[in-house]
Amino acid sequence: MNQLFAAFGLDVKLLLIQALNFAILLAVLWRFLYTPVLKMIDERRAKVAEGVQKAEAADRRLADANEEGKGLVASASKDAEGIVASARNRAEEQASEISKRAQERADQLLADAQARAEEAKRQALASGEKEIARAAMLAAEKILKGSSH
Amino acid sequence: MEGGTAHQSGIHVALAAERIGSFFGIPLTNTLVTTWLIVGVIVILTLVLSNRISLIPGRFQTLLEMLFEFVYNYVVETLGSREMANKFFPLLTTIFIFVLCLNWFEFLPGVESILYHGEPLFRGVNTDLTTPLVLAFVSFFVIEITGIATIGVYKYGSKFLVNPFKSPIGAMIGVIELIGEFVRLVSLSFRLFGNILAGSVIIAVATYFAPYGGPGILSLFEVFIGFLQAAVFALLTLFFIKLAIEEPHGAEVH
Repeated sequence: MNQLFAAFGLDVKLLLIQALNFAILLAVLWRFLYTPVLKMIDERRAKVAEGVQKAEAADRRLADANEEGKGLVASASKDAEGIVASARNRAEEQASEISKRAQERADQLLADAQARAEEAKRQALASGEKEIARAAMLAAEKILKGSSH
Repeated sequence: MEGGTAHQSGIHVALAAERIGSFFGIPLTNTLVTTWLIVGVIVILTLVLSNRISLIPGRFQTLLEMLFEFVYNYVVETLGSREMANKFFPLLTTIFIFVLCLNWFEFLPGVESILYHGEPLFRGVNTDLTTPLVLAFVSFFVIEITGIATIGVYKYGSKFLVNPFKSPIGAMIGVIELIGEFVRLVSLSFRLFGNILAGSVIIAVATYFAPYGGPGILSLFEVFIGFLQAAVFALLTLFFIKLAIEEPHGAEVH
């Protein structure tokens, strides 16, 4: 057995030193390579998951906001229609009232004008009659003076 | 005859690593020096890299993370839980990285021609049985301890020690399985050692017979073998761990 070991150059001290070498390598790689790299992978995976969740939440909120916006626009347009309709009604009412009042005023003016015209005509006639009477009287006077000569 | 002389002068195959000195009674072999160099380089690279790991990765970090995730997921799939994977991923990956670096080191141009007192200063570490055997022992102890710790001494023992009066065939199979556990020490270490040594011998032969082109093509192939053996060592350890933590088959029969 010893001869066999010697033929392969085996030596207990060398075996132990090589075991120590391997142990050192294992310890260093474990502490400074595997642990940090695997931790980094896990950390990044957590970050990505968080990012995806955030994006999903943002999408949901966007969808909510869209829905809300649509609702708002719909109610606003309904309100606007109502406002326009009522405004039109009031405008029509006012227009008809204004035209009614204008009609009334026109009627009144016309009536006044007619009354005044009547009055003027009457006065004119009255003054015409007086004038005629006076002219007739003057003519009669003249005739009477002429015949007395 | 000519081959004989060639063998003496040109091609030299040594199973044992060349000794280039001693240090407080410890024989310093060229494979040990090589291992120190490689471990040192990996440690320094790791410490440099470790400071640069950031949440927003660079290209190299992305590549590293992709490889790690791939291996980690494979270990999780095989062992069945993240908890087990967290325990064994570092060991398996270290075996792979270590063996891969050791195997590939000798393909760095010129490293094997640096001489120190007439002997090469560096030598492919797995062309010496020491390191494969150490790794096989590490793998063996991890497998056995994990098996005992996970399913308990009694259940784990019942895989190998079956009452021969109840089930003679079961007892025989148990003994064979027990031998099989220890044979793994030999099979794991010699698979790695044999493949890598054979590779370097083949390249040495090719260098002698077809110095232009031959070694280059064979080196490419041996680079692949080096990767393959590193993966095989780590994967076999993984599968043996998987086997060790499984409940014994006889349990549900009885």
